[in-house]
Amino acid sequence: MELNNSKIKIKSKNLNVYYGNKQALHNINLEINNKEVTALIGPSGCGKSTFIRCINRMNDTIDICKVDGSIEIDGKEVNDKNVDVVTLREKIGMVFQKPNPFPKSIYDNIAYGPTIHGIGEKKDEMDKIVETSLKKAALWDEVKDRLNEPGTGLSGGQQQRLCIARALSVNPEVILMDEPCSALDPIATAKIEELIDDLKKSYTIVIVTHSMAQAVRVSQKTGFFHLGKIIEVDTTEKIFKNPANKMTQDYITGRFG
Amino acid sequence: MTKEERLKKRHNAEKRFRFYGLLSVSLAVIFVLVLIQNIVSKGSSAFSRTTIATDISFNADLLEIEGPITKKSLEEAEFYDLAVESILKIYPSKDSKEERQVLRLFSPDYEYEIKRYLIKNPDKINQVASVELTSSDDVDQLNKGNFPRDLPEDRRRVSNFQLNIYDNLVEDGKIGKKFNDYFFSKGDSRDPELAGIGGSLMGSFFTITICLILSFPIAIMASIYLEEFAPKNRITDFIEININNLAAVPSIVYGLLGLGILLSVMDFPRSTPLVAGITLSLMTLPRIIIPCRASLKAVPPSIREAALSVGASKFQTVFHHVVPLAMPGTLSGTIIGLAQALGETAPLILIGMVAFVVDIPGTPVDPSASLPVQVYLWSEQAERGFVEKTSATIMMLLGFLIVMNFIAVYLRQKFEKKWN
Repeated sequence: MELNNSKIKIKSKNLNVYYGNKQALHNINLEINNKEVTALIGPSGCGKSTFIRCINRMNDTIDICKVDGSIEIDGKEVNDKNVDVVTLREKIGMVFQKPNPFPKSIYDNIAYGPTIHGIGEKKDEMDKIVETSLKKAALWDEVKDRLNEPGTGLSGGQQQRLCIARALSVNPEVILMDEPCSALDPIATAKIEELIDDLKKSYTIVIVTHSMAQAVRVSQKTGFFHLGKIIEVDTTEKIFKNPANKMTQDYITGRFG
Repeated sequence: MTKEERLKKRHNAEKRFRFYGLLSVSLAVIFVLVLIQNIVSKGSSAFSRTTIATDISFNADLLEIEGPITKKSLEEAEFYDLAVESILKIYPSKDSKEERQVLRLFSPDYEYEIKRYLIKNPDKINQVASVELTSSDDVDQLNKGNFPRDLPEDRRRVSNFQLNIYDNLVEDGKIGKKFNDYFFSKGDSRDPELAGIGGSLMGSFFTITICLILSFPIAIMASIYLEEFAPKNRITDFIEININNLAAVPSIVYGLLGLGILLSVMDFPRSTPLVAGITLSLMTLPRIIIPCRASLKAVPPSIREAALSVGASKFQTVFHHVVPLAMPGTLSGTIIGLAQALGETAPLILIGMVAFVVDIPGTPVDPSASLPVQVYLWSEQAERGFVEKTSATIMMLLGFLIVMNFIAVYLRQKFEKKWN
């Protein structure tokens, strides 16, 4: 039991989110395991993205958004008033739906995070961080000769890996990915998936995806969201082979959504 | 209606629209061309001035200098007698009326021009030298062909006697045409041939500088705060609406504000670029805030999210990413706001910048004119010389505005970065 508990990295309890008068999430209870990939699936507008944005409190930036209930990371409450979002987000990296590199050089894209947190103040330390981050994101070989070129000049797939490298540069424990492959072609998608598989050895990953196949390929645990409620959470194998809920069954076989 | 008919109708509608569009664009271009042609044809002659080469005998006795002749003593000497005697020697006249007419061929500054010549060439003392003296406005206009010679004498500003001298001077090749440096270096004057925009240029420069120093930082800070940090509630909505209202307030109202508060209550010096700059910055502030906020708003939220997600604070997100990306729009908005301020006349009239100021201001607290007010002042004068100077000043003003707008476009293009 004790061992089981420490496996849990993120735990949400009765999480409710409102956009103005509209409730976007209803009583979400979800446990996300350490160093594992958890996929969140469900039709558009079901609250998957809202949920992962609660984990690093990105919803704070939306004025009309109100969050109540609890999310714990390593047993510590995220929604607590005393939590410093800057440190929280240092610990929890995020990759967005559309690649969003800064309109700066590849090097500066990676170096930005460490710089603001005061890591790698010496040039050679920073070079090392940039190199390891890019290597972890499997981008180093493609860009090592043009680190000073703008990050926005890369292809879509490379940009997305640059964003992953940027997230890795501050040594997070958790990486949130909000449909990271939705703007990419199949080859770039395959590369990212390979990368996710590799990253789960050291990071806890939560990925929102619209692709059933992707969820099957990369995740160990899957949660199915529908209309702001969590319908079913189980191991990926169980969800896709033998879902307990009829709605889950219908969704993954493509009968609705 | 058949399908073909409907298709034809749709195509015709498009053709009509294109035609109307083309028509309005050409009309606009024609109006601008007519305006520019009018101003240039009237104003271009102001950039030259007419000179009369006159033999001056620098008779040291007439200068009444006691002691040795030095640069300092020359500067203090009175040149009037020497000048008048030299000039009247060349153009003999019967009576004092004719004498006056002879002297009126020259600008009233001739004695100083002669003095300046001698100070520059001190070896000419007690010798005769040909000095190019600025002609009066009448001779200037005569030389530029703006003067109707065929009018009866009593309706002309130039008498037959003067015309005769002028014609002789032309024959002798003594009438010259020079680049009008006075127009740029001198302040205002009652005599058009000696009037220049030097004073109003400096006045406008000080005014715009003060306006920039005051309005740019305040506008930037206000727009960054309102756009990025301020909570969205009734108070900020109210402020936003009122900024938009202020941008639409007629500029003369700001002039009244400057008059009522800066001059009456706070007792700032009248007619000065300092007051003008403060007044215009009040007017310019909302006009800069609006484009600044628009360009901050145009920075895609994905950039903010990217910065926030690596743990940047709100402040770092805004100042490391959003503001630099919004800079081109911000700068061009500022320059266009300043260009509007540069051309503003009404508020300046109210705070007393219409005063007749001869001296060129050395500091922002000296009384001065400004370019648009100079246009207004000269346009009220009757002399032909002021008509061309008015147009020339408009040309200068338009030139500055065009340059500023070009800088705005250039900045926008140069610093605009691509983002997704």
